[in-house]
Amino acid sequence: MKLRMALVAVIGLSVLALLPVVADDGAAFNGYVRSKVGALVDGGDYFVAENALDLRLSYTLGDASLYANPVLYEQDGAVLPVDLREAYIDLRGDVLDVRVGKQQIIWGKGDGVFITDIVSPKDLSRFLIPDFEELRLAVTGARFNLHTGTQGLELVWLPWFTPSVTPSGIWAPAMPFATTPTVQAGTLPGMSLQNGEYFARYSWMGSSLDLSLMGGWFWNDTPAFKVVSLGPLSVKPEYYQLAAGGYAASGALGPFILRSEGAFYGNKRFQGSPMVYPDGYAEKNEVQYLVGTDFSVAGYNFGLQFIQNIILDHETDLVDDAVKNTATFVVAKTFLRDTLTVEVFTYVGFAAPDALIKPKVTWDAADGLEIFAGAYIFLGDSGDFGQYDANDGVYAGAKLSF
Amino acid sequence: MKHHNKALVLLAVFALTAATAAIAEPTGAALMQAVYDRPQGKDMSGLLTMTLIDAKGKERVRSIKQILGTYGSVDKKLMVFQSPADVRGTSFMNWSYAEAGKSDDQWIYLPALKRVKRISSEGRGDYFMGSDFTYDDLGDRHPSADAHTLTGTETVDGESCWVIESIPRNPADLYSRTVTWVSKEKSVGLKRDYYDKRGALLKTLRVSSVEFISGVWIIKKTEMHNVQKGTSTRMEFTDVRINTGIADGSFSELAMTRGL
Repeated sequence: MKLRMALVAVIGLSVLALLPVVADDGAAFNGYVRSKVGALVDGGDYFVAENALDLRLSYTLGDASLYANPVLYEQDGAVLPVDLREAYIDLRGDVLDVRVGKQQIIWGKGDGVFITDIVSPKDLSRFLIPDFEELRLAVTGARFNLHTGTQGLELVWLPWFTPSVTPSGIWAPAMPFATTPTVQAGTLPGMSLQNGEYFARYSWMGSSLDLSLMGGWFWNDTPAFKVVSLGPLSVKPEYYQLAAGGYAASGALGPFILRSEGAFYGNKRFQGSPMVYPDGYAEKNEVQYLVGTDFSVAGYNFGLQFIQNIILDHETDLVDDAVKNTATFVVAKTFLRDTLTVEVFTYVGFAAPDALIKPKVTWDAADGLEIFAGAYIFLGDSGDFGQYDANDGVYAGAKLSF
Repeated sequence: MKHHNKALVLLAVFALTAATAAIAEPTGAALMQAVYDRPQGKDMSGLLTMTLIDAKGKERVRSIKQILGTYGSVDKKLMVFQSPADVRGTSFMNWSYAEAGKSDDQWIYLPALKRVKRISSEGRGDYFMGSDFTYDDLGDRHPSADAHTLTGTETVDGESCWVIESIPRNPADLYSRTVTWVSKEKSVGLKRDYYDKRGALLKTLRVSSVEFISGVWIIKKTEMHNVQKGTSTRMEFTDVRINTGIADGSFSELAMTRGL
């Protein structure tokens, strides 16, 4: 952990040290200031009152460049420590690019779904409420990208494991146990070659079709809960290693863009009845895939996705069903010469059934000035989305980019 | 002798036919084909400044770096937005095919999402980034997509031009017809009127600057005016470079994420 902090600090300070030369060629300085406030519909309690200063600093010298993205948040009247969202060094070559440091790595073809997008963990502290760009966390490591025009091979080595931030507060999900357990503190894996995370992706961009194949040996970003004692029930979060391999593809068929993404996860842990599974979980293989399409009708842009999770060799004492079906639906349209955008993104769970509807209106009041407002509406009483039925909310804010 | 006279008559007829063909006016289709086939260089790079002007005269400026190239039968274009700040780094790539009936391939990269996404190229009638240009207006529309008629000659900004009326073969097209003034000297369209489905004038395009760079006629300044809405879009190309050897591999997913 200290080494990681030291590496990130060195890269961050290197970039900050270059600030005085922003006037020179190769230096760039931009970012945004954003103010955002949101309240729950039921009771009107504020759930977010946030001001953010997001800075993007870069300096390019020949084939090398530095980049840092420090973010300063003030939330509910308190200034939080500076968050270094990304800080890395880039080396660019004719056939090989290398990026070292804290970085976000985004894979896959799905919108709002993370089947092969498994390198960067997620900040789910407020579930799926923030914009997707804010959900992703950076990982610290090295990425090697061999490229020859339309083909590329990415190799990623992450010596340190970065877990996802799990939902908390009003977003804490129901625990997968009949009685509420005592949750002991979990531990993160130490640094070693064996504990590193390793990913590879081959991608090809061609006429009418884009294809990528990926694989990884990594730590699950969210922990399984291991039963420590049954009476009273006490559990301990455990991170564990697993392997996955998958594909992502998109292509054009007439006016439709067709997308698909799928992955096989080996020995993933699924919670089950402690009476049947002494550890509180069982290891099972899982298949996840999605099929989707994007198209336009009369200026409206539509996107549809169907997602299926299948637990292989499923047993009835597991908490999750053998098959889980989810769909997403997005419709967007711009008005006033693209200065006003109206978008509705919806998740639908088939089992409960339940849904999350996220309408948003964005107005580009002037170049760089964006005023936005939105809502999130949960439908249903149970399931991934319905469990938050009491958390419907609205928000509004402004963002000035510079 | 008789044979000799017959030969002379045949020669005269041949010469007259050839001379008539030489001075006959070309067809509208041939002229539009000549515009389409005009040499444009193997590749090109430049900075595009796009100024959107609303009906009240308020201006918004977008700055876009772009590279273009032809590789075999595929025309490739990569555009990367430099400003304003909220769209900086956004890139758009288009592969266009000479093969008749084959749709373009298009991708967009949004830096906030850090992901390249394939998008449909069927919305060619959609307006480009809030401008008065549709994607079709900006592309090289194949001459076979319209029926062309040469309607006369006129002078535009001192240049003698052919006037050609073009009617889309596909009734679903955005315009009912267009009229184009093509420079006789340069095979460059200097002016074009677009008529809506009702036959009313919708937009006028004027080219105000054409330069001969590295053996190629390049349109450097153009303005599209929507006469029905009162809005305009001005486009200006600067730092134009021709045939600098841009590699095919410059038009890739990696290039979209790296920027230009």
